[in-house]
Amino acid sequence: MSLNLSPSSSAKRKGEIFLLYTFSALGALVLSALIVEAVGANWSDVWNALLDGSFRKPGRWGRTLGSAVPMAMVAVGTIISTKVGLINIGQEGQMLVGAAFAAYMGAHVPGPGPLVIFIVIISGFVGGAFWSGLAGALRYWRNVPEVLTTLLLVTVAANFVGYGLKNTWLLLDPDAAVGNRTQVSQQLDPDSRLPRIDIFGNNFSISVIISLLLIALTFWLLSQTIVGFRLDVVGQNQKVGRRFGISEVRQGFAAMCASGGFAGLAGALMLASGDFAKFRLVPGFTVNLGWTGLLVALVAREKVLAVIPVALVFAGLRTGSSFLAATGVERRVTDVVQGLLVLALLVPPAVLFIRDRRRKLAQVESRT
Amino acid sequence: MGFLEAIWDVMSTESAYTAATRFAAVLVFAAVGEWVAERSGTLNISVEAMILAGAFAGAMGYDWTGNVVVGILLGMGAGLIVSFVQAQMSHRLTADQFVVGLTLNILFLGVTSFLYAEWKPSSRVASKLEIPLLSDIPLIGKALFGQAWPFLLLYLLVPFAWWLVYRTRWGLEVRAVGENPQAADVSGIDVNKRRRESIYFAGICSGMGGAYLLLGQVGRFDDGIVAGRGFIALVAVIFGGWTLRGTIFGCLLFGSVLSFRLTLPGLGYELNNELMSSLPFLVTIVAMAAFAHKVRPPGSLARPFVRGLK
Amino acid sequence: MNELSISSIDGGSVYTGPPPAVTAEKLSKTYGYVKACDEVDIELFRGEIHGILGENGAGKSTLMKMLIGLVLPDGGGVKVDGELVTIRDPLDASELGIGMVHQHFSLVEALTVWENVALGDNSKLDRNKTRERVADLSLQYGLDVDPDDRVEDLPVGMRQRVELLKCLRKDPSVLILDEPTSVLTPEESEQLFASLRRVVEEENRAVALVSHRLSEVLLATDRITIMRNGAVIERCWTKDTDAHSLARGMVGRDVEVGFKEVKQSRKDSSKVLSAHPGENVEGSEKKFVLELSNVVTSSSSGVRELDGFSLGIKAGEIFGLAGVEGNGQSALVEVLSGLRTVSSGSVFLQAKEVPHNNFGRLAENGVAVIPEDRHDSGVVLGMSVAENLLFSNLEEGYKHGLLNKSRRDKRARELIEKFEINCTGPEAPLWSLSGGNQQRVVLARETSDKPVVLIASQPTRGLDVGAIEYMTGQLQELAKSGVGVLLISSELDEIFSLADRIGVIFRGKLAASMNREDANRESLGLLMGRGEV
Repeated sequence: MSLNLSPSSSAKRKGEIFLLYTFSALGALVLSALIVEAVGANWSDVWNALLDGSFRKPGRWGRTLGSAVPMAMVAVGTIISTKVGLINIGQEGQMLVGAAFAAYMGAHVPGPGPLVIFIVIISGFVGGAFWSGLAGALRYWRNVPEVLTTLLLVTVAANFVGYGLKNTWLLLDPDAAVGNRTQVSQQLDPDSRLPRIDIFGNNFSISVIISLLLIALTFWLLSQTIVGFRLDVVGQNQKVGRRFGISEVRQGFAAMCASGGFAGLAGALMLASGDFAKFRLVPGFTVNLGWTGLLVALVAREKVLAVIPVALVFAGLRTGSSFLAATGVERRVTDVVQGLLVLALLVPPAVLFIRDRRRKLAQVESRT
Repeated sequence: MGFLEAIWDVMSTESAYTAATRFAAVLVFAAVGEWVAERSGTLNISVEAMILAGAFAGAMGYDWTGNVVVGILLGMGAGLIVSFVQAQMSHRLTADQFVVGLTLNILFLGVTSFLYAEWKPSSRVASKLEIPLLSDIPLIGKALFGQAWPFLLLYLLVPFAWWLVYRTRWGLEVRAVGENPQAADVSGIDVNKRRRESIYFAGICSGMGGAYLLLGQVGRFDDGIVAGRGFIALVAVIFGGWTLRGTIFGCLLFGSVLSFRLTLPGLGYELNNELMSSLPFLVTIVAMAAFAHKVRPPGSLARPFVRGLK
Repeated sequence: MNELSISSIDGGSVYTGPPPAVTAEKLSKTYGYVKACDEVDIELFRGEIHGILGENGAGKSTLMKMLIGLVLPDGGGVKVDGELVTIRDPLDASELGIGMVHQHFSLVEALTVWENVALGDNSKLDRNKTRERVADLSLQYGLDVDPDDRVEDLPVGMRQRVELLKCLRKDPSVLILDEPTSVLTPEESEQLFASLRRVVEEENRAVALVSHRLSEVLLATDRITIMRNGAVIERCWTKDTDAHSLARGMVGRDVEVGFKEVKQSRKDSSKVLSAHPGENVEGSEKKFVLELSNVVTSSSSGVRELDGFSLGIKAGEIFGLAGVEGNGQSALVEVLSGLRTVSSGSVFLQAKEVPHNNFGRLAENGVAVIPEDRHDSGVVLGMSVAENLLFSNLEEGYKHGLLNKSRRDKRARELIEKFEINCTGPEAPLWSLSGGNQQRVVLARETSDKPVVLIASQPTRGLDVGAIEYMTGQLQELAKSGVGVLLISSELDEIFSLADRIGVIFRGKLAASMNREDANRESLGLLMGRGEV
């Protein structure tokens, strides 16, 4: 009656998985190429422009790294909340709130530069955690689906931060020359910005290193410590968790806060690295990176380390898109490519899931 | 004091009612479809993409033919396309319905803005149609019977949806599938097929809503045109406790909140634009916090069905 | 040819009447490497109740699901009235006149009776006609069902009548009932069998009664087919057989029917126990290791599932709690699993009160639980065997919060060996194990740390014979070693053969408790059915 997977079948399975993923991704790319051709452009021109803009032309991969950082941080946070079974899709808002907290602290906390940088980054985390924590609290306190609250809070965050950027007592730059004309926050002091590194003409901020460290730390926490174990238990079977004293409320709320915290941290890193909007907070500061980060997490699924390559590809699409003008194709075509890729990569796990279910079903059936 | 006064002023202004039903109308189109989808067990967050696709296709249809009817039909078709992807992915492949919906929202934001930049369709608002006598009712006459003519489609759609869900075999099966798919399955109902069909219905309704939004209200497409209306429609269904009556009441409530915000400045009240823009969303969240635990969702909402396992 | 082979078992008379209502010919179904049905032949005749008897896992349900179109066969065919047919889904089956009363999951609770009855038709929905038909049928079979009631408001026995109506409304020529009595009191079961008799004799339908209970098959059927391991083992007339030969056919070897023998051996072990009391017993008769006093729980809809439930378990005894399903058993297990807080009343563990609303406290202090549905609250399917063995004792795998993999896996390997868990190793995902082995993982985890009390809820349900023997043996061993065991079961046989004391749960209360010596089936049956003798 037992149904064990023999080693040979698991090797075969790996091959199947690889093929499935390859074909799905190819399908999405072919479809994208067709769309490009349909609007009268040449797909190979577009492909080359994307490569030039993201890696090949001088100084471009430094920019790509800069874009990959916030995406990766958002994705890591998303993986934490997914692990515990919660669906946080409001990273765009949590990022913005994190960036706002960071901008406020950057403008108001006195002290030596490194300390201010530290405070800016931490407050970004706190801001994001606060925003997702609201959704978490409503989830456990009032049973409100977190899918909806996180989503709705995105718009609320944008409006609130917009309000803050109109008032000097909150975020607006008190310098009348700047603040009266545009909605911007005070610029971070030069000594409270993240240092930048220059390699082969590629310039990027040390936020790249910070994010790599955080990815490694998260990977370790989730796979090697009881923190990850508890999240796993609650995420997969709340009743078993509760029976052995692992509270789904505590774990879930903490995971939700961590998830938003990483998004907020991404916002703070964007601000302090200066890759975006020159060390100032502006309306629409997060430029959809929260959404893209979420897509990165969807593709990486529950694997923290997979975030790195996926984020690089998506960041490449983003930086590459600025070279598309010469080909006569709207740069937003990359949004379409991204969406199609994600959609296509949802297929293989779903197919595998159905197959696993069938197998389990076979076991259930054979017993009843 | 000032607040109550403001409410009174708004309530005695005819344009406030017109604005409220205008806002509510798009919500009702989408929410009626979403209601059917949720009764069948799908929490369909791609409704936002469905409305957006409907609005864009409406603009294209009008641009090509100059005919509002064609615009609306194309809008329905576009909504159906989105729903087709959602339905096939979540109820044939059993991919997570939220993940699919979210991806579709992002994908179609990209698709429509890309195609808009390429094609630049031009369009305008459809003509107003005032129904004699009824539109002369004080305060609410214009609001209910004096809007751009596609508004009147609602008077057909809502009763039709009610009849469909409560009076036909298909509707009975949809309700059964949303409550207890295992039972429906052993009774000989193709669970996932009914769920897919319900999503198609949601796609058609939302596409119609999107086309109405464009051709009945805004007139010109831009990629921010939907602005979260789909999500509010989705919440209206929850707010309405998964009944049609409650859903429509929810839409009207959210429409009123939006109208409140729009009407006040015209009456000379100072208010902060950003904070007021958040109001519908905050009201939505508060409403859910107050009601979410009181209403009973369809027994199998947001759970995929695979035969043989709970 | 089949008819001949069957007739020869019947005792020589060659069958010459009309063809059977349904004939299954060499129906086969294989899942992975498991042959759930292996070329099974079966014939259902009009005017007969045909018992299909077999252990869990014998292939009865798969066979019936193939007849009803829920499972598609790999080989073989089905004939209706002698004509070969294809059945792809339940609608096909119902058009051919085959209807099934399901054990679980066939009514939608939120819908009304008439709506449920209308489900599964494919004609136009006609409210009034359906309601009238339901009322007529209800009258005709004396079922007393109101078409406008919501199913969720009906008691279990009533729901089954709705289920029966749903089937009869399509006027089937063949009626299949899958374990229909598992949720019924003995009295309700008798009523059901009486209705079935009427269906068979007055309306000349064929009925197939699928069951694993010897007694009811003997009582209610005309003809019996015994299945084991996916194949038909024996066919016979009910009047020509007895419990012993049926049991032999079911299990494949001689077994004791009843419980006298087992009872004797348990007597010995309890003697041993009183001679050498375990460390928890301390000689005193009154000492309870687990005591519940006036426990009340209420569901979200306000129903009191436990309504002043009191019970004491002594060290070293097996307390058998009998009762029809749905009388508060699941709430009781949830309370003792720490999954649910009580609204009032107290739980004492070794004479100390356990505070309410403190998840994990009970498990930490030695209350082990073997849940009825292990997938629901016993295991995490997506985690490994080693991890599943860890929950009760996290220190074995994590030191200061850091994973100590070698220690975790070493312990897992020991337990895998000790409990003979068949898996590829500590890292094997739990879902890759068979049901019996998953149950052993639960057993290993729950009992390896010397529990004070063990709550076993329907511990043998869904297991095959070997696994059942293993499980009951383990329960007896544990009791012998001084653990107080609470055995919750709806199988009176199981309770009689294992328990030292017996109680009956009825509508959330302990209706009675007694020593096994003072218990008899009749009074227990009455207690289960109406809470008093």
